[in-house]
Amino acid sequence: MVKSLLFLGGSFSVLPAEEIILDLGSSTVQAEAAKESRSETLRADDALQNIDLDEEKASTIAETLKNQPNMAIRSMGPAPARPVAKGLSGNHVTVVEDGSVGGDLSATSPDHAIASEALTLQKIRILHGPRVLLYTYSQAGGVIQMDRSEIPFEDDSLHGSIWAYAESGQPGYANAVELNVPVWKGAIHAEISSRKADDLETPRGELKNTDLLNEGGFVAGALKFGNWSLGSSFRWFLTDYGIPGGFIGGHPNGVDIELSKYDFSTVAKYSPSDRQADSLQIRFRANRYHHYEYEAKDYVGAEFASNEEEVRIDKAFGHVGNFFDIHTGAELHTRRLEMGGYVFTPPTNEYDGAAFASASTRIFNRTELSFSGRLGGASFTPKKSVVAKDEDICDRKFLLYAVDVELLQPIGSGKFLIANVYRTTRAPSIEELYNQGPHLAAYTYEKGDKDLDAESGYGGEVEFKAYTLDMEVSASAYGTWFDNYLAPRATGDTNWSQLLPIYQVQGDAALLFGGSVSVKWNPEKGLYGEGSASYVRGYYQNEDWGDMPQIPPFKFYGEVGYRMLGVKVGTFGTYLAKQSHVDKFETETPQSFCWGALLEFKWKWERSEYALILRGENLLDAEIENHLSRLKSVMPEKGRSFSGLLKIAF
Amino acid sequence: MKKIWMIAFAALAFYACSSNSASSDQEEHFEADGWNLYWPDWTLAYSVFQGKIDSTLETMSVNANCLSEHINIKFLDENKEQISGPTDEEHSLGWVVADTSILDIEWEGGWGFHLHGLQEGETTLQLQVKHHDHADVKTPEIKIIVDKKLAAEDCPFQEDEEE
Repeated sequence: MVKSLLFLGGSFSVLPAEEIILDLGSSTVQAEAAKESRSETLRADDALQNIDLDEEKASTIAETLKNQPNMAIRSMGPAPARPVAKGLSGNHVTVVEDGSVGGDLSATSPDHAIASEALTLQKIRILHGPRVLLYTYSQAGGVIQMDRSEIPFEDDSLHGSIWAYAESGQPGYANAVELNVPVWKGAIHAEISSRKADDLETPRGELKNTDLLNEGGFVAGALKFGNWSLGSSFRWFLTDYGIPGGFIGGHPNGVDIELSKYDFSTVAKYSPSDRQADSLQIRFRANRYHHYEYEAKDYVGAEFASNEEEVRIDKAFGHVGNFFDIHTGAELHTRRLEMGGYVFTPPTNEYDGAAFASASTRIFNRTELSFSGRLGGASFTPKKSVVAKDEDICDRKFLLYAVDVELLQPIGSGKFLIANVYRTTRAPSIEELYNQGPHLAAYTYEKGDKDLDAESGYGGEVEFKAYTLDMEVSASAYGTWFDNYLAPRATGDTNWSQLLPIYQVQGDAALLFGGSVSVKWNPEKGLYGEGSASYVRGYYQNEDWGDMPQIPPFKFYGEVGYRMLGVKVGTFGTYLAKQSHVDKFETETPQSFCWGALLEFKWKWERSEYALILRGENLLDAEIENHLSRLKSVMPEKGRSFSGLLKIAF
Repeated sequence: MKKIWMIAFAALAFYACSSNSASSDQEEHFEADGWNLYWPDWTLAYSVFQGKIDSTLETMSVNANCLSEHINIKFLDENKEQISGPTDEEHSLGWVVADTSILDIEWEGGWGFHLHGLQEGETTLQLQVKHHDHADVKTPEIKIIVDKKLAAEDCPFQEDEEE
């Protein structure tokens, strides 16, 4: 993207490409100042979209991101896989879908899936830097931003896409259709998708009860009235998947999970035609999520019902004085969470509010300063319940703030140094505060703590980015000191009724640090190659600097190939080092190497674009253990797998 | 067209915003930190408290083709005080026998049972306090020996003795 901006910089006078051209020493220098910070432009370039995204698409969001630097997968079977960023998972990593946070319970337990279909994503981005605080206080973990552009603002053309996907590693298929149709003063945009997959095939045989069935879609519309646009969308996602059983850390017989998510959003948007970077957006969203866990046929072992409403206002300014790329806003969010069956969290209402802002300015000639802040609070009101002792039912309120300051310094032609410092925080979740009992699908006895303080920490990151016409190099080192890091920790104790290991949520001082290096040699034709390496370590201070649990091992991903006239052929591999830095109740994970190959065809016919992507993964059928999977003790990850994705865009 | 838009999205908004509640109730669950199993004369047959099994007691056994004497169950709370099992209809005795060709359980309700030897061998038994379809409380796996087969009339315990 940056490369294309370089070439197109002269014609895109409002885009920051000219800034980059300036830094590259091009003779094409535009006098107009940038509307978007350079760090944002450079980071936006890391987003996966178009064919690059289609190449990576797999059965879940987490698997789609698995080859990205600093990313790993937390899982308990293929369906509930969730991304882990920089060693942080669960509530530390915020998943945003078309501008809305949350909507499912995937952050709360390893058996809960992200309620979203990966196949139809238009763009996915691992957001870090100051803009994270526009969505969450948890700066350290960052945001996974998924984009479907559901509401067709400024899109009144007729177009659509068809996807068809099949794979052998978890035998099954997926398909989807998306259509945008101009209607009256706007457009209607709709999508429908389905996915079916049987049990996972591993090198040691079939992993029983890992099948899944997804159905999803949305219908959305937008109307334009002068500078105002009004749009709404209704999205649904239904899934039925299995959690395998019969292993330590799992239910003896496995669990079947059925969940549904319905999301309704209405957005009013003001975009003055003469100031494209200025806009006002007001969003209302209602979300209904229902989740059943069946231990036996027709018997509900656990049930979760979540009702969320959110009002959010976003105001963006191109310029105010010396500041540019300014985003301000506020949001109010409520959630009513009810449980049924064998769940030991009392029904609880949660209320959150936040105001946020980010902006950039120039200092010391070419240095760019960007900063952001988020201030607000969260309040929890549990209700009396037979599953909680009266003394554990108490309201909690948290005042929360997070800040981020970033400096970007060009250090040569196409080279940038970005330094970032931040304060990160988050309120404990409902489960972390009030849960007191067994979680049968996860097969643990989980104890919350109503007296928990908010998580807080301070961190920083230094990034180096360099661009030439065909090459991109990126290196980063980061670290966060948590004075109160919230996580469930194995206590070594047992609940003697259930004979389950007790995990207690507690706040500990912890240090997490790591880094990554990524190199892409990406000419339009001929040989191409890319490689990335990531490493992260985590320590608890009060354990004599003992290792934190669930930290991914060193990862290297490499790909080389050849590209010519709409055909791409390549081979890729992932090396995972042995993870011997483990918490005291964790086991080590051996090293592994996974090798694959891809063949891709792209062509145009009439007015349509076609892409056929054929991939072979784990061609050596190697036994690969995922350190962050609870299944690693009984079964390795997916074995040899062949997949094909056909996409037609018209 | 405008009206169709409005009606369609109002209907979807109404559907999405309608309340969503849990359909199953949360319930109280029975808890115990240990189990005492007694022979009819109230001598201990098996005891476990907080995962520690009383190893001074003999392994429970029964002959193949025979029933054992009735075994009574008592539970232990966190202070090791003996408590009775729940009396409501939602709780009942459950069990898992590792090798069902060797051992079966005869249960006539309440908190007691008989071992039923099927063939000579050794297996394990896990007792559970069943609550609907899940177990509120369970024992570790209890080793059971099934001794040599006896003719029905030679079994040490005869069913009519119980009465």
